[in-house]
Amino acid sequence: MSQRLIIEPNKSILNLNLKEVWNYRELLWTLTYRDLRIKYAQTAIGFTWAFINPVITILILSFVFGTVAKVGTGNSEIPHLLYTTAGMCGWTYFSSLLSQAGNSIIGAQGMVKKIYFPRLIIPLSKALTAFIDLLVVLFCIALLMLYYQILPASSLIYLPFFLGVAVISGLAGGIWMSALTVRYRDFVQITPLLLRVGMYATPIAFPASAVPEKYQLLFYLNPMAGVVEGVRWSILGGDPPSSYIYVSFAIILLFLIFGVFYFNNVQRKMADIL
Amino acid sequence: MNDLLIQKKVIQNTTDDNLAIRVEHVSKKYELGMLASGTLYHTIWNTLDRLRGRNKRSAQEDNEFWALKDINFEIKRGEVIGIIGRNGAGKSTLLKVLSRITEPSSGRITINGRIASLLEVGTGFHPELSGRENIFLNGSILGMTRQEIKSKFDEIVDFSGVEKFLDTPVKRYSSGMYVRLAFAVAAHLEPEILIIDEVLSVGDAEFQKKCIGKMEGVAKSGRTVLFVSHNMGAVKTLTSKSILLSEGKLIDYDKTNIIINKYLTSFAGNQSSMFSPLPKNRKGSQAASFKDIFITNGANERIHSIISGIKVEIHFIINNNTKSTLEQCSIGFGLFSLENNMLFALKNDVIGKYFDVRPGENEFVVTLEKWPTSGGVLKYNVILNKGLETLDWIQECGTIDVDTGDFYGTGKVPAGNSQIVLVEQKWH
Repeated sequence: MSQRLIIEPNKSILNLNLKEVWNYRELLWTLTYRDLRIKYAQTAIGFTWAFINPVITILILSFVFGTVAKVGTGNSEIPHLLYTTAGMCGWTYFSSLLSQAGNSIIGAQGMVKKIYFPRLIIPLSKALTAFIDLLVVLFCIALLMLYYQILPASSLIYLPFFLGVAVISGLAGGIWMSALTVRYRDFVQITPLLLRVGMYATPIAFPASAVPEKYQLLFYLNPMAGVVEGVRWSILGGDPPSSYIYVSFAIILLFLIFGVFYFNNVQRKMADIL
Repeated sequence: MNDLLIQKKVIQNTTDDNLAIRVEHVSKKYELGMLASGTLYHTIWNTLDRLRGRNKRSAQEDNEFWALKDINFEIKRGEVIGIIGRNGAGKSTLLKVLSRITEPSSGRITINGRIASLLEVGTGFHPELSGRENIFLNGSILGMTRQEIKSKFDEIVDFSGVEKFLDTPVKRYSSGMYVRLAFAVAAHLEPEILIIDEVLSVGDAEFQKKCIGKMEGVAKSGRTVLFVSHNMGAVKTLTSKSILLSEGKLIDYDKTNIIINKYLTSFAGNQSSMFSPLPKNRKGSQAASFKDIFITNGANERIHSIISGIKVEIHFIINNNTKSTLEQCSIGFGLFSLENNMLFALKNDVIGKYFDVRPGENEFVVTLEKWPTSGGVLKYNVILNKGLETLDWIQECGTIDVDTGDFYGTGKVPAGNSQIVLVEQKWH
């Protein structure tokens, strides 16, 4: 006999139905493909845009912190430009996903109001699209290392782990923001503000050790601080990051778990709210 | 407790084999105020108020709106069921709950088999993408696998008739081409249960015919179909049984003929009124005046809306306010579209007939063997003359709701929204 489906009001907030998300994976690929096509296909210089944004940001940060403010990198052999790019590597996925995910469900409301599918597919498709930005920064790092003739540190074997944490933090933030923006439109304004503050509160263009000791715990409460430090350490080596990064990781994990539950709670009313 | 569970299971197993959908005690509540003003500010204040012990409960209950109230029904495999009701009766909410777009507030629905809904064709179409890309995009949004779309691709393109423009972005399509392509994708879904809402109201006449043909095919292929439409003709030809909804409640579930008749004769509170003249729109000496105007069907039952092609009698109740009989009177009835285009007029003097209006109440009736308009809301003026003198003249006297129906008795529904007047025709 064919499949049976029972529709009931979802009383238990613990019922996440993640298996269903997996069953809809083809839709996830299709939406990701659509996003990429639309983002780059219609512009005059196409895929080049994927480079312009991060490159400009890195140049500005490196100029302000490295050239003007003369913030050290903790290692004189590493040029500030490379240092900043490596720092950007941990931040870019998070920031790209957050800015796309916020409006993602409102943007797809035509679909949400007309067709059933696990709504989590929408922020997840943005999470796949955002990988492009991560790859672009990784590519920039490789280019710079070739140019400066610097070999990756032996800690490179930790890179997949720290990139994994970067992806998870992006996912956590993206899921939270997409659900919150549906519930409260205020987050359309809050998200860019949060990202702007976050970019300076995170040690992208300066080392975390430059922050005074009494602010360290507070500093690492920003989960992205640990992520950025970790990613940069695994690429460039140097002193291993402070043990405070575990605070960051614990916060990220909690954010992801609560984010998925919160999203699930909002998803049930999504079609009514939009 | 355990026994109860087992018992329930046994009952389900014996009946479920030929059951497609079972709906038990389903209700859906909307909280109007809460959802509309979903701002951070309100949530914070409400939470603070609750913490301080101020109870806002009663204010919230005022804003509750039950779109569905305790709905129960069962649909067997292969049945094609119509859902009928006036605007706001809960039809769309019921379909939304069945297709899982929104969750019921209480109750339980069991669905056996793969379900797909067509609440609007072209959902997820992206204007920048080509026709080819949109077929894949839309197909997978509707729940088809890539493999399925591939195997049906040629058929879909063929049905839509846009093969020449497959690689053109759909934003360059005419609206007709757009709809044809969108419907073509949807029509090639092969779920066991299909939910359709008003999709037939799109496209040109030619294409609508094609769609209805396809729907009939679907209906005959043994699939279960739930069909919502204001097009009574389509409901009548496509469905065997129907559900009548009114104000969120299931009024009846029976053979479509019976349900349509019930729909016509029932009056819903939110319906516009047939006789509602405004004093400022009224002119004339008022020596005699219209007291009421209503419609009956062929069986002399009072009806509150009309289906094209049915027999209609319009009753004019006229009060003679003088003490003497007014001779040689005539009644005029002019029907207009909402855009103020006159459709036709009925007048007894043009066919050489006059009435005498006696003191007190009089009733005059005009019979139309086949109501000659397609679906929509229409308005009318009436006038009462005695010779050249105007006794009562009411502009915008009220509105008449018409649903599109099988005017020609062929099962083919007159298509196109631009066609309002239907004319009998004989071809040789």
